[in-house]
Amino acid sequence: MNPSDSDASRFRSSPTDRRGERDLNDLLVHVARGDQDAFEAVYDRLAGPAYGVIRRVLRDPAQSEEVTQEVLLEVWRTAARFDPAVGGAATWVMTIAHRRAIDRIRSTRAAAQREQKIADVSTPHDEVAEAVEASLDRERVQRCLGSLTDVQRESITLAYYGGHSYRQVSELLNVTLGAIKTRIRDGLIRMRDCLGVS
Amino acid sequence: MKLLRQDLHSLTGAYALDAIEGGTERDRFNRHLSRCPSCAAEVRGFREVATTMAFAAAAEPPPELRAQVLAAAARTRQLPPEVRTHARPRRTRASLPWLPWLSGAVAMAGIAVAVFFGLAQARTQSQLNQLKQQDQALALVLSSPQVKVLSHQVINGGTATVVLAASRHELAVATSGLPALPAGKVYQLWLINPRQIVSAGLLPAEISGQTRAVLATGVTSGDALGLTVEPAPGTAQPTTKVLLALPL
Repeated sequence: MNPSDSDASRFRSSPTDRRGERDLNDLLVHVARGDQDAFEAVYDRLAGPAYGVIRRVLRDPAQSEEVTQEVLLEVWRTAARFDPAVGGAATWVMTIAHRRAIDRIRSTRAAAQREQKIADVSTPHDEVAEAVEASLDRERVQRCLGSLTDVQRESITLAYYGGHSYRQVSELLNVTLGAIKTRIRDGLIRMRDCLGVS
Repeated sequence: MKLLRQDLHSLTGAYALDAIEGGTERDRFNRHLSRCPSCAAEVRGFREVATTMAFAAAAEPPPELRAQVLAAAARTRQLPPEVRTHARPRRTRASLPWLPWLSGAVAMAGIAVAVFFGLAQARTQSQLNQLKQQDQALALVLSSPQVKVLSHQVINGGTATVVLAASRHELAVATSGLPALPAGKVYQLWLINPRQIVSAGLLPAEISGQTRAVLATGVTSGDALGLTVEPAPGTAQPTTKVLLALPL
């Protein structure tokens, strides 16, 4: 897969780019009124990150495609319930996407797959190579993850990209439950500051 | 209790990453979240971090997905907004009919302000601005895009009026004509649901027969607003008869 610049460019808009976010919020307002053109625009902006994160969690491309479709249809169906006061449109959609991926993995993942996945997740950087052209977000995320302690970074990566519960993370890293909760939270605080999220 | 709370608070990170397994722990945290604005704010920030991580993992979906999704959307019915635009069924116990959700500044100026501050007190925009400055948090509820106004008689006399903000899990309460209390007693508000009762603060003393509006946060669906008389400075759980139980 070696996409052209024009394909890749649409994945570049950062979720913390305020102008982009506002556009997306406006687009969702139109989607809520049944505007299919607006929905197409939302698809073009968010299908890539949604599919990307779902596939990171699920691993299986066919299942990932299925869940991505479910997520985008949920966005279409429930756009009227999007509340910009609670967060931006990109965050709303990515929250749905990640949660749906987690729901899928917790309901279907067999023990063998789980073992396989643990092995895969331990080399997260290799997977990134599969992603569309290097984006600003990818660089920022890698840089900020790099600023964490090992346990913080591994906890966050195993939880978010690996789709593991913090209990599973605690077992995988052999760290107590209480410590894992704190490491995830402390790590996210550092990430938040490093990424410049308000 | 305090330890428990801190323990819950430290779950904000795991929660934002969907790393709390389903069941009681997530339910408990959800409830905590609805009553802890600082936790909710933290979760919001963490979700933005997570969103950036999702963008960092962006990958091109199979090309056929676009047409599939758009076609599926074209034949999928959309849900209406969650907030009602019509009145709920009337409740016979209410002394006043339930008012519908109201939209925008008209509702605010026309009803909420009149109810809460007295017609004489806030007739002009500048007065309203002044009031807003006095109490930003309250103003946020009162100026929410959609509010619901409820009113109910209090058992031992007087009326409580509530302005409920649709999306903020917050409400403002004012009362009029409540019987005066002996020294050392206060009126205390509660958020009541089948699982727990949480204090929503004390009513201030009445001035000219009305209490100034007070704010209660952490309202969740299914809550009722309760009112009791308690020894000052209030109690952790109600100890006397409930004088008002207004479903929200």
